[in-house]
Amino acid sequence: MAEGTDKNGRPSVDVKEIRYGGSAGFTRSAESGRGALTRSPPDTTSRVCGGIDPQRPFATGPALAARVLIKWVKAMPVVQVARDDQYVLNHTTRFLARDTGEVAEPFHLPVVDTHWDGASAETSYRFNDVTFVHRDDQAGEVGVVGTFGDLHTPLPLRRVRFLDEPTGLWAVTVRVGKGQVHRYRFTVDGRSVLDPVNPQRHRGDNGQEWSRFFTHGCAVPISFDRWELRLLERLVTQVLPFQLAENRRFLTDFYHKLSRSERDRQFPLAFLMDESVGVVNFIDKLLAREERHNLDDYKTCLRLIDGVLRARFPGREPAELGRQAFMDLYDGFAANNVPGWDTEQYNEPRYFLLLLRRHAMTGAFAHPKHGGNNGAAAWAYLAERFEFDWRSALEAPLGRNTDYRG
Amino acid sequence: MADEAFDAVIIGSGAGGAPIAHTLVRAGKRVLVLEKGPLFHAQHTSPDGLSDFKRDEEFATGAEKVLRVPGVANTGVSFYSSHVEPDLNDEPHVYRDSDGRDKVTIEGYTAQVVGGGTQLYGGVSLRFAPDDFRLRTVNQGRADLRGDPNGDVAREAQDWPFGYDELEPWYCVAEELVGINGTRDGQLKPASVDNYQKPLEPNSISTHVAAGMDALGFRRYRTPLAVITEDHVPSGRAVPLDRESIKTAFVNRYGDPLGLKSNTWVSLLHPISTEPAFELRANCAVTHLSATGSRVTAVHYRDPLGRERTVSGTVVVVACSAIESVRLLQLSAERDPGFAQRINGNDLLGRYFLTHCFGGASARVPGRHDKSRTLDSDWATDACAAPEFVRANNLWAGGAIYNNTSDSALPISMARTWAANDMDTTWKGYLYDLDMRGDGFDGYLTENFGRQLSVAFMANQVPLPTNRITLHPSVRDKWNRPVAHIDKGWHGHDRAVMDVLAEQCRRILAAGGEGVQVIGYGHVGNDVRRIANHVLGGARFGADPEDSVLDPDCRAWRFDNLYVTDGSFMPTSGGANPTLTIQANAFRVGDLLTTRV
Repeated sequence: MAEGTDKNGRPSVDVKEIRYGGSAGFTRSAESGRGALTRSPPDTTSRVCGGIDPQRPFATGPALAARVLIKWVKAMPVVQVARDDQYVLNHTTRFLARDTGEVAEPFHLPVVDTHWDGASAETSYRFNDVTFVHRDDQAGEVGVVGTFGDLHTPLPLRRVRFLDEPTGLWAVTVRVGKGQVHRYRFTVDGRSVLDPVNPQRHRGDNGQEWSRFFTHGCAVPISFDRWELRLLERLVTQVLPFQLAENRRFLTDFYHKLSRSERDRQFPLAFLMDESVGVVNFIDKLLAREERHNLDDYKTCLRLIDGVLRARFPGREPAELGRQAFMDLYDGFAANNVPGWDTEQYNEPRYFLLLLRRHAMTGAFAHPKHGGNNGAAAWAYLAERFEFDWRSALEAPLGRNTDYRG
Repeated sequence: MADEAFDAVIIGSGAGGAPIAHTLVRAGKRVLVLEKGPLFHAQHTSPDGLSDFKRDEEFATGAEKVLRVPGVANTGVSFYSSHVEPDLNDEPHVYRDSDGRDKVTIEGYTAQVVGGGTQLYGGVSLRFAPDDFRLRTVNQGRADLRGDPNGDVAREAQDWPFGYDELEPWYCVAEELVGINGTRDGQLKPASVDNYQKPLEPNSISTHVAAGMDALGFRRYRTPLAVITEDHVPSGRAVPLDRESIKTAFVNRYGDPLGLKSNTWVSLLHPISTEPAFELRANCAVTHLSATGSRVTAVHYRDPLGRERTVSGTVVVVACSAIESVRLLQLSAERDPGFAQRINGNDLLGRYFLTHCFGGASARVPGRHDKSRTLDSDWATDACAAPEFVRANNLWAGGAIYNNTSDSALPISMARTWAANDMDTTWKGYLYDLDMRGDGFDGYLTENFGRQLSVAFMANQVPLPTNRITLHPSVRDKWNRPVAHIDKGWHGHDRAVMDVLAEQCRRILAAGGEGVQVIGYGHVGNDVRRIANHVLGGARFGADPEDSVLDPDCRAWRFDNLYVTDGSFMPTSGGANPTLTIQANAFRVGDLLTTRV
């Protein structure tokens, strides 16, 4: 293998848990069970971490006391993957090519896709293929630098051809571990430029702007602050079926009764079992990419909800309130009448409930790669309570279908 | 002069185009297929071993997108397209709603991908019934039809220029080369050769449908499905060791990563893809055709990055799904009065646009069944296509009835469609049923998950000249071309057909056994928007040049080398899902073309 491996033949990836404010704590894998719990100081020599400045994680975000799981990856040679020009055209041109209007569905870039090493579902499952695509008819050479690889030496993109002629598209595909956030910039004839299509941005502490992407099963918070995540957690559990006592018990038992090796094999991306089965993380990622247009709704409504609950329960932390407080809140949303709600700032609270319901429903039951349905817990619940043989259809090692590779 | 020349240029790679490409390449002809959408691979056709289709509900439903098309009544609404449907902002279809306002719809798209609609469909591959080909003849002199006080039906009913017997051998060819499983016994559609593969065991929930059909005396057969269940020699596809694993709820609206669903890419085009005479250009949108006199001399298309290119063919075949094919011909006519005169001298191009009368019934069954292992349908019956049934119910034509096994099988699609009669447009059920939360959600799942069963019908729609496709006067696509404008309503007799057949679906479920509880039945007769993605007509063929757009060979009457072979050729829509008939007809036309190029 092109990189260091541990005794099990797995890539050696140091995963560290960082406290906001910069003090490093003990390490816990964001991909639960896969990485061993190890204790190590921040590797200040490493030039790459999960898209975050190791000295000042989330320096541009709010100063939070929360623990955030951040993955540091030792500088390693980038593993390129062969994906042909047809693949690049198939996944990009219908969004890019046009005479009028703007690029459609820009969230498709860079293309984050399944990885297949040609040998094994288990070894392939830990990675994604990420294809960077840049359009420039005039350029002589195009490269990409980023935290997925080397920040200083551009990885060259090749010219994408159609009918043996250059198309003006440039592309390269690299293998990137799942569960990661990265920043990158293109270099065009030596000039450093942002990805003009991908709307995701990350501003470094020196003010420099980067383009950003994340891979499947990513659990690093992107869209929300800690208090927002906690409040959202309480809201979505109102929608989902897991607050029923027996279902809560199921979730706990489901995960803990699995042996460690079984957990490693089946749910390498699960890191936290809770009543929302990771729905909050799903929403965090959805609003960072496909549904950026709904982020303002969340930001506004969470702020208003925080205010409403603080007014109703002075001196109490909203996210710590009892279940009844949230049930009452839900009823208010459903009736489109939330006492204390500022309709000047957000006119239709019921609309936000519909948005939240759709996202909660989807996040709970969508494929775990989207960041929710943690460890496929919601599918396991359907299988346990009802009949739902999801494993027969889904790729190994998450499911047990060895024909379908995901 | 065009940049390049081929024996045949085929626009569209789905059910209407791929059979012709397959036939011509096998006959040694040089063929170019132009496809607007991407080439999404199955694992076995992919150079990197991975499919571009995933078993992931997010691929069928997608994230929320917002309609930004200016000048229509529903600007600002949300839509949820699959990953192979166009962004509606780039290429909207606009329909005239019953309130007279123009709205954009996702209905009427098949799929923009190599293989077209056959990538996403459930694969139901029924033949049309013999009487579907002669509806004018069988309705002559009838005055007993319901909901037809002015005799519109007898006036507008059309015979096809040939009968069932002439298409029958091509049904056999299609069933063999595409790869279809099912059973013959009990069908009203005679077959000279039985090319079906053996069906898999039905899902246990379908027992109730079998019981209901039996109780009513409806002969039933295993629904023919375009999914291989055995190794398929013509396409070189092999089935998994565990054949039961072929059954998956990721079927209708999902591309198949394993290539077992017999879409036209894996069944017809991939097998010829190594032939030097064959070329497939994906991501290439044809903008218009140009002609010199009666010959189409150039096909103008945009390459994957939007550059304009041209190509010529000894013959040119338009097969990019009815709405888009009609639009392409109209766009070509708009640029050239001579082209317009030839293609639309009788003002019929775009008229007699058709879909199907459809609807059905749904029930909750007493036991619980694992619907994650299923195909799209298990049982079908032609009982309501029988001439005696049609006559006895004062209808002009009948239809097929079959159960949908994959409906509500996956949790997110169940959420989307709960309490909605509408598979394709928007999020409904769970969203607006606000009491369904927490314990209520659990109770809902307990009551419904693995217990929902539906039965659907598919029947002929009365052809009307006022149901038509035109170019929209103001809305344009991303290439700055006018988009398709759909004007479609239901005739009173259509509603009568739907009332009768929805009632039969209800009866099947009601007779489905102890404890089966019918929870709803109905049809789309009150919704002009509904198209079922069965887009047909608009360039109908016929024996009379004054009353049709295409001749019996699907060639435009006043062109020497222009053919149209997707569903737009149909003068009536048939009493069954249309794909197999489009494929059979395309094999027929492909065979004719081997002697013309």
